[in-house]
Amino acid sequence: MEMTDLEDIAMQDAIEEEEGTQFKIDKENGGTANSGIMKRDLNINELDEWISYLMKCETLSENNVVQLCDLAKSILQKEENVRNVNVPVTICGDIHGQFHDLLELFKIGGPAPDTNYLFMGDYVDRGYYSVESVSLLIALKCRYPDRITILRGNHESRQITQVYGFYDECLRKYGSANVWKLFTDLFDYLPITALVDNKIFCLHGGLSPMIETIDQIRDLNRLQEVPHEGPMCDLLWSDPDDRGGWGISPRGAGFTFGQDISEQFNHTNDLELVARAHQLVMEGYAWSHGENVVTIFSAPNYCYRCGNQAAIMEVDENHNRQFLQYDPSIRPGEPSVTRKTPDYFL
Amino acid sequence: METAATTTNGADTASASNDIYPLALLMDELKHDDVSTRVDAMKKLDKIALALGPQRTRDELIPFLVEVAQDDEDEVFAVLAEELGQFVPFVGGAEFAPILLPPLEILASTEETLVREKAVDSLNIIAKDLSDQLLLENFIPLIERLANADWFSSKVSACGLFKSVIYRVQDDNLRKDLFQLYYHLDQDDTPMVRRAVGKNLPTLVDLLVENADLSTNQDWEFISNIFQNIINDNQDSVKFLGVDCLISIAKFFNAKNDQTHSQELLNSAIKLINDEAWRVRYMAADRFEELTKQFSNNPNHLNELIEPFLNLCDDNEGDVRKAISKQIPGFAKLINNQTIVLTKILPIIQNLSMDEMEDVRSSLALKVNDIAEVLTKDQAIEHLLPILLNMLRDECPEVRLNIISNLKIINDVIGIELLSESLLPAITELAKDGNWRVRLAIIEYIPILAKQLGVEFFDHQLSELCLSWLWDTVYSVRDAAVNNLSKLTEIFGSDWCRDEIIPKLLKMDPQLLKNFIYRFTLLSTLTALCKVVSPKVIASEILPFIVNLSTDSVPNIRFNVAKSYPIIIETLREDEDKTDYTPLITTTIDPSLQKLCEDDDVDVKYFANESLEKCKKLLAV
Repeated sequence: MEMTDLEDIAMQDAIEEEEGTQFKIDKENGGTANSGIMKRDLNINELDEWISYLMKCETLSENNVVQLCDLAKSILQKEENVRNVNVPVTICGDIHGQFHDLLELFKIGGPAPDTNYLFMGDYVDRGYYSVESVSLLIALKCRYPDRITILRGNHESRQITQVYGFYDECLRKYGSANVWKLFTDLFDYLPITALVDNKIFCLHGGLSPMIETIDQIRDLNRLQEVPHEGPMCDLLWSDPDDRGGWGISPRGAGFTFGQDISEQFNHTNDLELVARAHQLVMEGYAWSHGENVVTIFSAPNYCYRCGNQAAIMEVDENHNRQFLQYDPSIRPGEPSVTRKTPDYFL
Repeated sequence: METAATTTNGADTASASNDIYPLALLMDELKHDDVSTRVDAMKKLDKIALALGPQRTRDELIPFLVEVAQDDEDEVFAVLAEELGQFVPFVGGAEFAPILLPPLEILASTEETLVREKAVDSLNIIAKDLSDQLLLENFIPLIERLANADWFSSKVSACGLFKSVIYRVQDDNLRKDLFQLYYHLDQDDTPMVRRAVGKNLPTLVDLLVENADLSTNQDWEFISNIFQNIINDNQDSVKFLGVDCLISIAKFFNAKNDQTHSQELLNSAIKLINDEAWRVRYMAADRFEELTKQFSNNPNHLNELIEPFLNLCDDNEGDVRKAISKQIPGFAKLINNQTIVLTKILPIIQNLSMDEMEDVRSSLALKVNDIAEVLTKDQAIEHLLPILLNMLRDECPEVRLNIISNLKIINDVIGIELLSESLLPAITELAKDGNWRVRLAIIEYIPILAKQLGVEFFDHQLSELCLSWLWDTVYSVRDAAVNNLSKLTEIFGSDWCRDEIIPKLLKMDPQLLKNFIYRFTLLSTLTALCKVVSPKVIASEILPFIVNLSTDSVPNIRFNVAKSYPIIIETLREDEDKTDYTPLITTTIDPSLQKLCEDDDVDVKYFANESLEKCKKLLAV
């Protein structure tokens, strides 16, 4: 299970290392400041170009990531803590850097912007392509702010990404932690929940004992690193449970909540359903609490070995819901031979 | 882009101040603690060399790289080995190329296979640029040093370099020495070296086929001995390379019309086919058609191969059966004897079609239809058809798909009617498969089938099915269904589409259309069909429907309507009857598009404005 308590020292190291490499980059550029280029406004054609590039599982250059994150920040900071989303929309769960499976998701659900999407967090860590996955989703968000909603998951955090892979991946792919810093700074701006046509409440983790009404969420200050406790932490960390009431979460952050809690919450806020992600479910989706809560998980064969299906939930304009399940993408170049003799075979 | 800018900057600084800045920077970065920095630095090697110029590259950079090649990580070596292959121009052209050999020689001796392979590739690239004299003075001694080194790694690399020299050595004695050296490598204790010998032998022999007058009997004595050693090796992983060697050697003699070794080679082939090691048999099975082709000028020899062939089809190892299953029709065509096909080959196909392994059956299904070519119509109906009908009912979807994807030949020989009774249920079944990729695959075969089976077969049986695919839950299947309909229209013509498809589309179940996904699919279908139906049909049937969707409650539909308009206008303008549709456009599309440009939704507005620009351009022409 994932734990939240991390040593601050690791964080300090990361910042120092990042400053060190910043210097190196400047030197490479002959010492000339390139901030002029970075601040230049992006146009739509450029974004379209980036998206088609990212769709091929390529990474953007560091300068482009700076531009992209700047633009995304200006869009996301205008969004509320509880983002209102219209139907029809397709709701998706964890991606975790499984880029090829993200493409598979678009093959199943349809391409953006023809299909509207709501992603409930955890774009990075675990998989091998966190950089590509999160870059693509943010680029799509920037290009079609009204068609795509991206929420924050517990992995969209400076602390967690240093342990579960995103930090290392950025370092490996860019040679410095700059890109990691850019993305994690941006994550602070991601909205934490969404409300689909006032009926489906979407978030990454679950409910919080300190939140009774959705209006209370609107009052939170979300522009910060995911805290270790408190309502914002709970919304990103909690899990539904078979036991009633509130319980201590084995994850070390957030709570577990029972059917009584979800029923009360849905009743108080006049909701049909709470949709959340955060937990691996073998069928890709799972109902709990008598259809008060649904868990959606969109990373098939999670960590490339769990053998689970993935799912997305289509909600049409009449609030009819349909789950689409899918398996891992077929990747070109993977061996189809049943038995291959290794090279060292003598 | 970033790196390009960086290095140009670096180059400018260098030429301006004429100091050793780039090399110093490279050395700096190559001493960096982090491997990835060193790898990145290595990737910029060509730019550094360009900045330094040939003289300094030779005097400073290369000696430095020789040092690097002895003390770094494999990742850095791999990049260095690859970069050096492109370095001839940077050191001042071919006459200076030998200076590149020492660092590559070091890299060709490293332990890591990947590094060695890249070094060997680069050496072979450089060898092409070397004059015959430089080759003699520098490259051949390099091969000799590697071949006589203590470690297997150098010797393996040596084996990969012969192909650059063998065909360029005109002196018979020198070439004999080289073959002797190769023979010497073949007797090495380590199987890795012997494997390298076996792997490279076909290439060497092929070069002798291309240069037919080059080789002498002396050379062939060595080749023959090496080949015998390979096929008698005690390691399977060496022995199985003998199959490719045999094919190349037989090609050489066939090219010279020399049959004196034919029997010998046949014996070796049969020995390999019947080998006790499954990997050797697998290799023989995998190359069976190519192998037997080498004996096709002698019917007796071909006959001798029938029994071994049947053994392979009945092999204990599934992988062997899988490999031979694909080769059956090719072999049958070579044999070209209906009695043997009927009495021996068809029964074996029958067996394989019921093999317990899915992979075997699906491999068989890939090519089995081609066997019809060697049968008469009656024979095919009596013997082949029952097998195919059975395979169309196989529990594995891939088997069915493979049969369906290759029906043309069956149609040519026996006509499709006899199959249709089984074909339709098979298609319907695949169209309902739980795996969406199977559904996708069968849809993508439909246009091919349509071409083969004709409109008759189609109308009565398949058009309903094709339409039903539009309402699949998976986007990619719906998208393929849309493409399928426009491809079918290309095949059967606009009238067919107007009569058979469009009315059914426009009379869609209103209940279904309450979901925007299906309105979207319908819109996509009609837009796609615009490109293939006549303008008249667009004007009277399709356009009114699309204009109607421009006020849809869902913005995604509205902006796709906007995207459809330029496509419609383009087709209307290309009308062959020269009907002027301008009034229609100004009264329908124009106002609708203007309204969409004022839409509340940002994306609708954007795409409407984009379409408006396109339409203006189209109408201005």
